[in-house]
Amino acid sequence: MTATTGTLADEVWRLMTAQGILFAVDAPIRQTLQNLVEFFVARWQRDPESVRAELEAALAADDRFTREEVNGQVIFVTSRQGRYVPRDTTDTHTFKQRLYEPEKPLPIDDLSVVVSTSRPAITTVEPVYISDYWIEQARLIAAAKAAEQAPVTEEPAPVAAASERAPVIAEQPVVEAVPPVDAEPAQVAPVIAETAEVIAEPVVAAEPVEAAPAPAQVAPAERSTILVVDGMAIDLSRSPAEIVAKYGPALERILAERLEQDPLRRIVSFGRMHYPEASLISFGKNDLRKIRDYILERNEPLLDTEIIADLYYHNPRQSDYEGFRFSLNYRLSREKDFEFVGVEGANVWSTKGLPAIGSKRVKAAEMGQLTAYLIEGFDDSLADQSVESIVTSGSVTRLLTFFEWEFGVLPLDAALAALLPKPVFPDQRSAVLRFESPQHFSTYLVEVRYPTGNRGGWLQGLEDFFREHLVPGALITISRSEAVNVFTITYEEASETTGRLLTLDEKKNKFAFANMTFYCAVDEDLLPEQNRYGKLRNLKAFPMGERRKAEMILEHVCETMGERGGSREQPVYRVAFADIFMAYNVLRPASRSFLLALLANNPAIAPDPAAEGVYLFTPPQVETEAEVAEEEEDLPIQPALRRRSGRYIEEDE
Amino acid sequence: MIVFGDTAIDRLLQWLRASGEPKDVRELLVQYLEILSKLVMEESE
Repeated sequence: MTATTGTLADEVWRLMTAQGILFAVDAPIRQTLQNLVEFFVARWQRDPESVRAELEAALAADDRFTREEVNGQVIFVTSRQGRYVPRDTTDTHTFKQRLYEPEKPLPIDDLSVVVSTSRPAITTVEPVYISDYWIEQARLIAAAKAAEQAPVTEEPAPVAAASERAPVIAEQPVVEAVPPVDAEPAQVAPVIAETAEVIAEPVVAAEPVEAAPAPAQVAPAERSTILVVDGMAIDLSRSPAEIVAKYGPALERILAERLEQDPLRRIVSFGRMHYPEASLISFGKNDLRKIRDYILERNEPLLDTEIIADLYYHNPRQSDYEGFRFSLNYRLSREKDFEFVGVEGANVWSTKGLPAIGSKRVKAAEMGQLTAYLIEGFDDSLADQSVESIVTSGSVTRLLTFFEWEFGVLPLDAALAALLPKPVFPDQRSAVLRFESPQHFSTYLVEVRYPTGNRGGWLQGLEDFFREHLVPGALITISRSEAVNVFTITYEEASETTGRLLTLDEKKNKFAFANMTFYCAVDEDLLPEQNRYGKLRNLKAFPMGERRKAEMILEHVCETMGERGGSREQPVYRVAFADIFMAYNVLRPASRSFLLALLANNPAIAPDPAAEGVYLFTPPQVETEAEVAEEEEDLPIQPALRRRSGRYIEEDE
Repeated sequence: MIVFGDTAIDRLLQWLRASGEPKDVRELLVQYLEILSKLVMEESE
């Protein structure tokens, strides 16, 4: 390199590094020869050819430049640190490989050697990664053991003979023909089974083969595609759609259970939806507090979509929307401060501190006991409408009883259960639905309490609607809408009617009749009008805890509503079933079949042989004063006698 | 040896991750059966 060329190369290098001043020190800086020639021709005012030749010679002689030709164009490459050297991207770290794929692996019997099943001191579930290498190792060892145990002693023989003697393990090819899909699993040899010990059934050999020390030669043959899962023989050669059509629900359940049991928890679920655990979006404590505050601010349970839109401004058109939604639901489902009160297709969340939906006059435990008759098999709500007709029509029509009207509750009988959505989770306690009244343009939040154990279910939250627009005996219709969590409630309108109807005076805790005007069609048998059911005012408004005693309430109803006959010492009350049903449903909900069963089982009540649908109630005899005194002779001193032979006891005071 | 709900779950996970959104258990099952079916075919070849 001469002094001149060296100077020229230096100048070019300064030009190019100035051009790439912001590049990384080892990043390539490229420039075409043509550009360089044009630059120096303009500066020196010389012939381009001589400049080109001078430049080529100067740069070729300088180590800092590399010459490239791309599409016939000459390019010189350099870098800020001098000669451009392409970066070596080879990863020289071998720790990962050495860790997961050691040259001399430790012997393992099964995967439990690799993964500890013991509970860690901290109960946090930590995902454990098992390399495919170890899984493969475990599989190979299991296969080798099975092969060792196999008594393979026969000589090389025809295929049929070989397969006759040598039991074939699951992974090995089998000579058996593929059995038909619908064949019973007991009749075919399930080759791909859930246990390694599954052995192909021997095939009848053409001739006996002498045992010899030569190794077994298992002839390659077609592999079976039958997979046995919980007793179901599934032919994997069939299309998944066909398999799902036949075993869908069972396989879904098994797959969901096994994914749930996966120690790595790689796939997590919320309801029917599944998502990779690694893809979940994280929600911190601040997020949870923000969501809880927002639900409390809105003062009602909220849909997940509302929470996402209002708090996170996430749009359903965004590509990660469904993942975000799943993550939110999954996170909330694991928090004890939040309760899922949604249904399939509408994820509604409630939180601690929200006001209760419905009347507080009936506690949940009491209501569960009052509707227990539905669980006990006395549900006759499907007598007028079949489940099919309800599902097809999407609506249920029913009459309102006094108890339902007074407290705004409806027993969750089979008819309503057929209409309303089922709980999403097995342990789901309740769901919150929205009931709209198109006749009054009003909306009500209704809580569906699902049956648990021996307690029945019910709907609550319709108190205002019933009291404002209806009277007992009204015919109401509940219908589905397009939204899964929204229903409509309607009634048949009628001209203005005024009557003296039964009401509960809460201050005095007594039943009374009052003038009421209503505009709905009613069933006269269930309308508690004074003219027809005047005796209803004599019913005692028992505390709710007492009303669960079905027999006691029945006897009280018979005594109150019946016509008194018999003698003074032994009265007999004659009462019609319609009156019993009416009065009983004033005090607590009951179906006709439940009442008939109660009447049949009560020794003090018998059907009147003279009239159908009429019952005779003979109250148990009250002990006379003489009898009581006789019994008490030997007893210690008792408190003073009350009038009517009763004693004052602590409970009376 | 194929164990339903255990074998090739990593492939199912790969598919689920690639889909980018939560899937219903029915879709998951159909995909899993396809994976198992392919697995059996591959092993038999």
